[in-house]
Amino acid sequence: MRTFKGGKHVPDNKDLTQGLAIEQMPIILDYYVSLAQHIGKPAEAVVSAGDNVAEGQLIAKASGFISANIFSPVCGVVVGIEKRKNAQGATIDCIHIKSNGEQKVETLQPLSNPTREQIVARIAEAGIVGMGGAGFPTAVKVQPKDFVDTLIINAAECEPYLNCDNRLMIERAKEFIEGTKLLAKACNVERIFIGLEENKMEAYNTLVALDGVSGEKDAQPGDIVVMLLKKKYPQGAEKTIIYACTKRKVPCGALPASVGCIVNNVGTAYAVYDAVVNGKPLYTRVMTVSGRGINNPKNIQVRTGTPLTAIVDFCGGLKEDTAKLVSGGPMMGFSLADLDVCTTKTDSGFLALTSAEASTALPTECINCGRCASVCPMNLMPMYIDFYATCGDTENAVKYGACNCFECGTCAYVCPAKRPIVQSVRLTKMRLREKK
Amino acid sequence: MSKYVYSSSPQIKSPTTTKRIMIDVCIALLPAVIAGIVLIAMAETSRGGSAIPNTINAILLMALSCISAVGAEFVYKLCCKKDFATILKEFDFSSLVTGMLVGMNLYSTSKWYVAILASVFAIVVVKMIFGGTGKNLFNPAIAGRIFAFISFGAAFGGTMHYTEKYITGVNGGYIVGATPLQGLFGEVDSTLTNLDLLLGTGVPGCIGETCKIALLIGGLYLVIRGVLNFRWPLVYILSTGVFSVLIAWITGYSAMVEAAGTNANSVLLGYYLQTAFIDALGAFIPSILSGGLILGAVFMATDYVTTPNTKLGNYIYFLLCGALTAILRYAAGSEVVSFVILFMNILVPLFDMYIVRKPFGFVKAKKEAK
Repeated sequence: MRTFKGGKHVPDNKDLTQGLAIEQMPIILDYYVSLAQHIGKPAEAVVSAGDNVAEGQLIAKASGFISANIFSPVCGVVVGIEKRKNAQGATIDCIHIKSNGEQKVETLQPLSNPTREQIVARIAEAGIVGMGGAGFPTAVKVQPKDFVDTLIINAAECEPYLNCDNRLMIERAKEFIEGTKLLAKACNVERIFIGLEENKMEAYNTLVALDGVSGEKDAQPGDIVVMLLKKKYPQGAEKTIIYACTKRKVPCGALPASVGCIVNNVGTAYAVYDAVVNGKPLYTRVMTVSGRGINNPKNIQVRTGTPLTAIVDFCGGLKEDTAKLVSGGPMMGFSLADLDVCTTKTDSGFLALTSAEASTALPTECINCGRCASVCPMNLMPMYIDFYATCGDTENAVKYGACNCFECGTCAYVCPAKRPIVQSVRLTKMRLREKK
Repeated sequence: MSKYVYSSSPQIKSPTTTKRIMIDVCIALLPAVIAGIVLIAMAETSRGGSAIPNTINAILLMALSCISAVGAEFVYKLCCKKDFATILKEFDFSSLVTGMLVGMNLYSTSKWYVAILASVFAIVVVKMIFGGTGKNLFNPAIAGRIFAFISFGAAFGGTMHYTEKYITGVNGGYIVGATPLQGLFGEVDSTLTNLDLLLGTGVPGCIGETCKIALLIGGLYLVIRGVLNFRWPLVYILSTGVFSVLIAWITGYSAMVEAAGTNANSVLLGYYLQTAFIDALGAFIPSILSGGLILGAVFMATDYVTTPNTKLGNYIYFLLCGALTAILRYAAGSEVVSFVILFMNILVPLFDMYIVRKPFGFVKAKKEAK
């Protein structure tokens, strides 16, 4: 079984939503579309208060090389630009749009048989960003400086609870594969791998049943190869999935392109399909609403800028014993203080966890058991990073690898003393930034 | 203030806690404690005497060391001006583990105050002063045992107890041949078999160290519960066995050569080498099953706090533990496991300083181009 060194199987709780078909979230009244849904510079609003906008109309333009266009999720009137908190707790500008119930939809020109340049231009135009969580503009990603020969579609979805990629592959397999091929063309590569964890057999079987897609054993040259990966967290991290699929190690501090790989998420591939074939820019996405604190867990297709309160209402409301609200997956997602947050292009999930699911135990002293080091996919020594960061010794925290950490959180998950190791890593990185 | 818990990722944590681990260790120690006390009772009855005094004393010692270890932690923290509710909340059973181990390292004839003093020393001096759970430099129980051993002499006890052997009449490999364990226990019964050593029947020793099978069952429980990595005790135990065989081989061979004197020729020497090796192999199992090795290797040397943090470091650490145990047993002619562990504990910071893992995808820093 293909995998990587380290990691830990985290009880995945995927059965809450695994068998549930994607539902369309109905249009609601208010949308707050964030201008910073991606890594890089926030987009610049091109509409102002009082403007009428159609669904799919450009409302904010990319403001630099690493930035992305933003489109109106709904047909309505712009109320204004307001400051709101995002899931990470930062205050950012959001365009407030009140829907007016009309069905006016603006699309881009659908492309048939596009060239590489056309696809890349369309990806940029449609505002597509990495939909696994980081939100790196895809148009930049598909044009690396280094020579690349492999496109890996990250379908591992190793985060517990989440099923959005899984459902997308099952229900829209053809479209997803089409999008993957378009992405490969945009990246100018021949070799395509789809890496998914072995707990998604339904998706695997659906995919290999398609023409031109096959499992690892009976792959013909030119086929898209679907690789089964071991069920282990963080299998879907960029470096670990590259290693699992190709046995290439991304050097510390380098990008995947340095070993000839480009990794894209399932949702991204689907968005590329939508943008190229249907001309629909990126303003909807599939997300999983789950956790034992929500009455009706669901996989839903939502428009960007939907307030979480509306999503919670749509999913039957919260239960009394909800202890934690999480935007994204439970391992790398952000906990929310309240529901006053809106969705973005990168939100793969919203979870309401009960106190039985979410650990609320307070940290105790490290007992030096070494579990954190044994599960670290980057082969770091998290106990020292935590120790030195707690002492304020940034230099030593960096020496033990704080900068190589991609904050998967496996160490903090297994820690019996419940040390906030990831927080220590972030603290160290923050202190480094302050020094510079 | 939000009614929801707000924290850095990950939002979920494994159910394993320090407390859970320590409770597991306590559970794993129980079989050996019970077996040890039963063996003492059996020994007394087989001698024709009343089983009561020594057995009661052993139970008393166990209870006293546990209570005083836990008590010492509470009193120390109270002296640090912590309120009782916090201390109770912080209590993670690690001092109970220390207390149990100290009790298990006493003899059934030890005096009651030895149990109390050893436990208090282990908790206060070795653990709490250095910063409590996770900060101690030495394994508290080992330090407590050595403290009692070198401080109290006769009051520490050490009088042997014998029980009826499970299988009689078989001459085991224990005393036959020049094993380094010959002088280990003084007036040892030369008819002890390997099975006796495993069951602890007829074997003299501390309360908790005699019944190896019970200790191994406890170790197995910890391995199944994911508390203990089976590699480390295995490396320690096997390396002790291997080095004991090597030492027995060398000593056996040189004894034969000396006996042969000037008659020795190359054919004879080859024969001696072979015979000495076959003899030496007999030392493997006794060397493993004697003394405090199993208790030390499974429960004391593997203490999380006082072992290196890297896999490589641990392999070297436990290999060295085994080698030192075998060599010092031969040199000192007595049980040395606790001293070896204490000594190796001192070296742990060195292991951690010099053995650092390379990150995934590590590249050597390139020199700046001119």
